Amino acid sequence: MQPLSHFLQHQTRRAFFKNTGLAAGRIALGSLMFPELFRASAQTPSARTHPALPGLPHFAPRARRLIYLFMNGAPSQIDLWDYKPKLAELFDTDLPDSIRNGQRLTTMTSGQKRFPIAPSIYKFAPHGKCGTMVSELLPHTAQVVDDLAVIRTVYTEAINHDPASTYILTGNQIPGKPSIGAWLSYGLGSDADNLPAFVVMTPSWSAKRDAQALYQRLWGSGFLPSRHQGVALRAKGDPVLYLNNPPGVDAAARRNMLDGLDKLNHLAFERSGDPEIQTRIAQYEMAFRMQTSIPELTNICNEPQSVLELYGPEVTKPGTFAASALLARRLIERGVRVVQLLHREWDHHGDLPRDLPLQCRDVDQACRGLILDLKQRGLLDETLVVWGGEFGRTVYCQGELRRDNYGRDHHPRCFTMWMAGAGVKGGTVYGETDDFSYNIVRDPVHIRDLNATILQLMGVDHNRLTYNFQGLDQKLTGTDAHAIPVKGILA
Amino acid sequence: MNNPSDLVLFFGRLHPLLVHLPIGLIVLLAFLEFLARSRRFSNANANAGLVLAITVPAAWCTVLLGLLLSWSGGYDAQLLKWHKWTSIGTAASCAIAGLLYSLDLKKPYRWFLFSTCVVLVVSSHFGGSLTHGSDYLVHYAPPPLRALLTRSPKNTPVEDKPANLADKPAFAALVQPIFQKDCVSCHGPEKTKGGLRLDSFENLSKGGKTGPAIVAGKSGQSDLLRRVRLPATDEDHMPPEGKPQLTSDEIALLQWWVDTGASADKKVAELKPSPIVERMLAARSSAANSAVKTTPPKALEEVLPVSTKLAEDLGIAITALSPKEPWLQCNASVAGTNFANAQLAQLGPLAANLRWLDLGGTGITDAGLAPVASMANLTKLHLERTAVTDAGLAALAGKLPNLEYLNVYNTAVTDSGLESLQRFPQLKRLYLWQTKVTPAKAKEFAEARLDQVQLQRWQEEIDQLKAKIQDAHILVDTGIALTTPVVSSTTNMVAINTMCPVSGKPVDAQKTVLHDGKLVAFCCDDCRAKFQQDPKPFLAKLDLAQVKQAKADAGK
Repeated sequence: MQPLSHFLQHQTRRAFFKNTGLAAGRIALGSLMFPELFRASAQTPSARTHPALPGLPHFAPRARRLIYLFMNGAPSQIDLWDYKPKLAELFDTDLPDSIRNGQRLTTMTSGQKRFPIAPSIYKFAPHGKCGTMVSELLPHTAQVVDDLAVIRTVYTEAINHDPASTYILTGNQIPGKPSIGAWLSYGLGSDADNLPAFVVMTPSWSAKRDAQALYQRLWGSGFLPSRHQGVALRAKGDPVLYLNNPPGVDAAARRNMLDGLDKLNHLAFERSGDPEIQTRIAQYEMAFRMQTSIPELTNICNEPQSVLELYGPEVTKPGTFAASALLARRLIERGVRVVQLLHREWDHHGDLPRDLPLQCRDVDQACRGLILDLKQRGLLDETLVVWGGEFGRTVYCQGELRRDNYGRDHHPRCFTMWMAGAGVKGGTVYGETDDFSYNIVRDPVHIRDLNATILQLMGVDHNRLTYNFQGLDQKLTGTDAHAIPVKGILA
Repeated sequence: MNNPSDLVLFFGRLHPLLVHLPIGLIVLLAFLEFLARSRRFSNANANAGLVLAITVPAAWCTVLLGLLLSWSGGYDAQLLKWHKWTSIGTAASCAIAGLLYSLDLKKPYRWFLFSTCVVLVVSSHFGGSLTHGSDYLVHYAPPPLRALLTRSPKNTPVEDKPANLADKPAFAALVQPIFQKDCVSCHGPEKTKGGLRLDSFENLSKGGKTGPAIVAGKSGQSDLLRRVRLPATDEDHMPPEGKPQLTSDEIALLQWWVDTGASADKKVAELKPSPIVERMLAARSSAANSAVKTTPPKALEEVLPVSTKLAEDLGIAITALSPKEPWLQCNASVAGTNFANAQLAQLGPLAANLRWLDLGGTGITDAGLAPVASMANLTKLHLERTAVTDAGLAALAGKLPNLEYLNVYNTAVTDSGLESLQRFPQLKRLYLWQTKVTPAKAKEFAEARLDQVQLQRWQEEIDQLKAKIQDAHILVDTGIALTTPVVSSTTNMVAINTMCPVSGKPVDAQKTVLHDGKLVAFCCDDCRAKFQQDPKPFLAKLDLAQVKQAKADAGK
């Protein structure tokens, strides 16, 4: 017997009346305090995937959709965005203690006798009307820099990949919290009823090394109903496993089976009221509709050659970043709320000059292509694009420092991210770091401020999108610190 | 009493706190008596004595506190008089009822209790009118009921026609409405806080207890302007914290009116408008213009059930843009070609509420666009990837006064379609990729949309501001920087070295250069040039040369 129904059958009459009395009082009080919860009629599992929560968006959104390009492993801000010309003279000199100032280091460099400064070997030049300095490693992205708001002063507390990625994407270093996509799916619902609200892709990479692992919790739903978790499309073969009917089962038979299953699930739901059953019903229906929507989505035959060329030569190779970026555009066109690309292997502890250019080549042209493609379709006005990793990299060298080769350790105190699209002031550079790209001099942006900004652009007040769990009104920006949206990058 | 002590005011302000206790108790007593008439509750009034013992003193206390409060002044004298005497009547009647009860005269007691209730209702009404304004209760009553009760129609502010705003006296047309909206409830005939009344120009000119409210021509010395600009937490700030506040535009307008002479009857056109005031006037006239054309939206609570049902039926998404406004966003593109003209027609009931409408990639055609033409509040419209043509745009021309965003990429729209787009006054973003519109025509369209007069005006403003920046700079002159003297003045100096620091050959005494305050000699011009370019590598030799020179000097 299910524990829940077991519990229900052992309620005594007295306990029942006592509890009901209290509950009625609580409902009355609740209806006074939170009238918005009582306004909507009770939602029964329906054909519609899920609408927005009552009262959301909190204010008219600037962005209807989010494309989050996550560079897992932490790209080097010093070699890509944070131009530090004065470092050239300081090659192989020791990082002043006053700059490091007791900063906690990873065990990968904490044993090093010296912290020799490794200036970037890449040339920077001003680009666009705004004149933002961009590294020669990103020649294509540099061409759309007038559309980007580059934030040079993002910071975090975590110094290792797992906690840092979990932190920036779920708002907490400890696993178990919902990801940003899950929060947005939960709060804003989905426009499409034949695709999930939150889709994830993990494109291939070119650097010559193994990459940091990804975890499903980075797009998980945590304590939110599990229907809000991101659906990961596979790079090779079927994008979604087990979606196709097995041999000998046709669409009618599948429909028949689903209808029968649906009845059983409804019976179970009526008996126990467990919301996870609703999730299951919705997911079966979603999967059925995805049998047609996913093949249509991934079939890019109708894309004009000129559009494919925007994304670069790798766009026709399934599973690449370019191909995923194109799919991201196709997904948001079809009403998907959040698309997240997690591109791996940006963790260049050594041989950075060997690997970083390869990684940049994977994403550079596709980033520009995505922005231009969204723009010409009038979608950039309604779509927020975010690019960045989980932390930055150190100015000092890890391992042996040579004129043409070096490596960099993890650096949480400052790193660069950019945003583009709806509600973002293009051509902006926000914040300033010191001459070593080590400490923030002006306008720090904690990663929870960044997340608050993303939510704000999507029409969500980060303080009011909450879910009660473990006795706390949990939210993406955490329950123990105050987050402030970054006004300086908003149009 | 003109200046009641703080203690008096402190107790006086407890009046609203206490007043509801005796009211409740008197009603309770009447209710108990009523209940006791039925057999089942015949002993309901058994404890009436106890209740009376609380009620009578509470009633008199309330009256006393009310008297103290009335000394703070600022209330409409007539209303106050009525409230005072009816309240005293209530308390007296209540006391008599208590006396009768204690004498066990139950029947007269009931009569007096009943009459107490009647007087109570009257006196409470006067009290409510004193606090909230005499119009409070029936202001939002249905018109027939309102007419019956007050004889005066609801005085909704009459919007000025933009055309004749310039011919109106600035005070009556622009300033008085601000006072009327946010000030007169406390600075008017019914309540006159601080002795100041803002309900007419004459009263404004009289000022209040602390002196004149405004000084004509000098907003900086006007107490009224000072107070509205104070931080909201300041004790002197007006309107008081928690009351509706003036907007910064309204403050700017007041300042402009005071600075231009605070005249009672000068017309708007006669006063020199500041840029900010001009902008506000323009905004008002455009708002008034669009208000004529725009259909008012229904309340959100009213449309949400309809929109939820429609979204469900049509397989599309319709959500509120924000909970505070009546606007809806509708994404029909998710339904693809299943959403066509027939489905679009079903959105009719939401027409006035739709703000964003995404029809991208749907099956709609020109013939089905009529419902869109009725969506006068639309700001964003996606028609991309549909069968819509120039004819469709022509049908929408002039119907969407608020449209800011229009997307028609990948449609058959041509250059002539742009002609109809001239009639979307607010259009700011237009997407024409994969249409038959020529780039030249598109550019021409964009150029034509620029308001040259406005641009010219802004340019003038920029120039003025630049001049201001120029003026703000103070002049500090330090003269021309002095450079090191040229070599010619070194003729009297002796070179510190005899050997060229670059080549090591003996020096030519004419080929010298001043370095670090010392004269250095070289063998040739080339060596001198090399040294001048970068002296560092040669300094060591120079030091050596210097030492040798010194030794030689010592040897002499």
